[in-house]
Amino acid sequence: DSNQVCLCRETTKTCWIAALEDQDCPPLNYINVCLIVLQVQQMQVPASSNAASWKHNKTKSLRKLKNNFWEFLYYFTLWGRSLQKIGGNFGGGVQSYFLFLRFLVVLNFVSFLLIAGFVIIPSFVLGSAESGFVNRPCMTYDPNPNTLVAFYEYFLHLLSGTGFMEDSFMFYGYYNNNTGTEDGSRAYNIPLAYIFTAIFYFAFCLCCIIARSVAVATGGSTVGNYSMIVFTGWDFGCLGNQATKLKQKNIYYRLQVDLEEERIKKQAASLTPWRKVALYSLRILMFVVALGLIGAAFFGIFKATDFSQVRDGQPGFLGLLIEFLPSIVITTGNFLVPLLCDQIALIEKYSPSITVVMALLRAVVLRLVSLGILLFTLCSQITCSGNAEASACQQCRYDHEKYPCWETRVGQEMYKLMLFDLLVNIALLVCLCFLVCVRIVVDNWSCKLSQLVGRQEFVVPSNVLGLVYGQTVVWAGALFCPLLPLMNTIKFVILFYCKKITLFHNCRPALKTFRSTTSTFFFLVVLLFGWTLALVVMIYSLAVINPSMACGPFRFFPSMWKIVPNSFYCLSKVTQDFLFFIGSQAFSIPLFALSCVIMCYFVALASIYGKSVEMLKAQLKLEGQDKQFLVKQIERLKLQHLMPALRAEVQD
Amino acid sequence: MGNKQTIFTDEQLDAYQDCTFFTRKEILRLHGRYHELAPHLVPMDYTNEPECKIPLALIVDMPELKENPFRNRIVESFSEDGAGNLSFNEFVDMFSVLSETAPRELKAIYAFKIYDFNVDNYLCKEDLEKTLNKLTKEELTSEEVELVCEKTIDEADLDGDNKLSYSDFENMITRAPDFLSTFHIRI
Repeated sequence: DSNQVCLCRETTKTCWIAALEDQDCPPLNYINVCLIVLQVQQMQVPASSNAASWKHNKTKSLRKLKNNFWEFLYYFTLWGRSLQKIGGNFGGGVQSYFLFLRFLVVLNFVSFLLIAGFVIIPSFVLGSAESGFVNRPCMTYDPNPNTLVAFYEYFLHLLSGTGFMEDSFMFYGYYNNNTGTEDGSRAYNIPLAYIFTAIFYFAFCLCCIIARSVAVATGGSTVGNYSMIVFTGWDFGCLGNQATKLKQKNIYYRLQVDLEEERIKKQAASLTPWRKVALYSLRILMFVVALGLIGAAFFGIFKATDFSQVRDGQPGFLGLLIEFLPSIVITTGNFLVPLLCDQIALIEKYSPSITVVMALLRAVVLRLVSLGILLFTLCSQITCSGNAEASACQQCRYDHEKYPCWETRVGQEMYKLMLFDLLVNIALLVCLCFLVCVRIVVDNWSCKLSQLVGRQEFVVPSNVLGLVYGQTVVWAGALFCPLLPLMNTIKFVILFYCKKITLFHNCRPALKTFRSTTSTFFFLVVLLFGWTLALVVMIYSLAVINPSMACGPFRFFPSMWKIVPNSFYCLSKVTQDFLFFIGSQAFSIPLFALSCVIMCYFVALASIYGKSVEMLKAQLKLEGQDKQFLVKQIERLKLQHLMPALRAEVQD
Repeated sequence: MGNKQTIFTDEQLDAYQDCTFFTRKEILRLHGRYHELAPHLVPMDYTNEPECKIPLALIVDMPELKENPFRNRIVESFSEDGAGNLSFNEFVDMFSVLSETAPRELKAIYAFKIYDFNVDNYLCKEDLEKTLNKLTKEELTSEEVELVCEKTIDEADLDGDNKLSYSDFENMITRAPDFLSTFHIRI
């Protein structure tokens, strides 16, 4: 009977704990005490039936099955084993970069499924645009003029998104404004689906990022770091030499993070006032220098973008080079400036966690604003710098000579940026393979030369910024190139393996690791910067710029957003009234007030719990001290009591 | 049900089942493993409860314990003579407490015993130093070891006597979310 078993176990536990606390009792094992208690119990109660033990067996095997299932699932977690290996060999800091990469891969894949389900598949099913040559003003657009091309031109088209790639589901221009109302039987409004999917995609990404940053921020506990690591850090189930060594290194790295911060705190506390002043003024100077570097980089990029847009349209390889000029300048700037900022960070001497965050924040502004400048230049070219009366923009309200289908053109620019980033990374990997070969050869010849071709540390901030930049490009371009999230997923998967190979073959573990919870949180903050930039681009394209008249689902609307109010008035009267009510003040103000009240309640609850925890801790300490005091009193009284008795005995 | 085994009587198996966190099959399998460690010492017939103990050196050779830095301490804390010689009861007890269904209090008590190297019922600084060296394979410098031990005692010591008693240790363990899953050996 399972109740009997529980009772037996409870009794055993109490007896056993009492026996342990009794100083005179010899050490007993739990099982021996249990057997004795069982014997005593069985003398009083008849033997249990077989059915009970069968039930006990069944619950045991069910629990085992559940555990095995969870382990099996964990085995299939994307890259679970690789990430464990990386964390053990290089520490939590480098592992946080790969965890961030995995998060982005999953995010991109899920958003691709979203876009495919609501936009691409319905478009495919309901038929594509009529790709005829219409000779009317503003409507002259032929994406693929030469269907028969030479082989090398085919390759050029693949790299720059023109030709056969432009005339496919990849770009905005291929989708038609089929609202399905002509058939009557199945109404699927593609333009409406397109715009709502884009908006929902942004909202979904924002929710994912915020959910993850909350999980990261509340996941790590700062209380009892050292004792947790020392007493619960070791996994007793670790089997095998490799796993044990990995675990030991892991624990070493976790302790290193805390120890490094302690050392820096001690150093900072031991500075004289003059040295403190010197350090702070040096830090301010370096901050100004960093700002200067970033400003110079902006200027260079602006000039390059202007040059590229002015000299556009040249054929052949030179034309391709000019097309890629902004990307080249941006990548060079993003390579040089963080390098210089790293040298600056050596002078500033912050703790490793703060150094990483500073490097991130300095370089992110450069990366994102350079992208912003490119987009801004494109936008001013398309709308003739906002001047609707300029000769090129007068007819169609956008420059239809240079950009017959401007959305596709913007999508192509984003596609080129993404592709160039990937090609650079693959090229770096190839260079690395070459370097490793050189090192092997050189090692066999002389040792001094091999020190020149030494191993670097894996620099986390610049790699994370590469990811943020790539993701921002995808977000900005998703409205104009719906297949971009899928291509980005593939790109990030390739990037994972490239970086992993680079890490294991060319990098040594960092001497000082940084705390991964702080850094992961800041990775997500920086990702939000990128999201905001892409949001600005999307809002501007939806609401301000006129859509192309020659292509796309929003052909004859004054702006892309206009389709929503138009469709709104097609809904039934009841739905319209309901939606008006939700948007009105009578509903939103009480809702806002209610959410404020709920938030205040939770904040108050949290602070009360925190206070009671502190109070209870202090009380525990006092109890302990009281106990010690009482024990000392008892000893003293015992002695006082014994002394006269002893004296009497001695005298006798 | 099924095959008749002659290693234990039915009452013995029931008693083991109630006192450990294993099923009948697992107990029989454990007996097989115990027998493998020293076939000449361990009889196959346990029905009349023979008194035989396997020495420490043979037990720490098991693949589950071989690479564990705490293997000697684990076996010593489960042996009643303190020298690491385990009878079958103690052997089963060891793996039962380290299994996944053992309750938290049991594991906490034995974990305390394992980390208590000088067996004085307190975790003093020397115990912590030894634990730390085993955890990091002696890669930390001696000042770092000093610092970590000081900080650990600072964080967990509630009654201010500069060493950790069992109640301090237990209080700290209750705040550790993954103690149950890390203090677990699969057999």
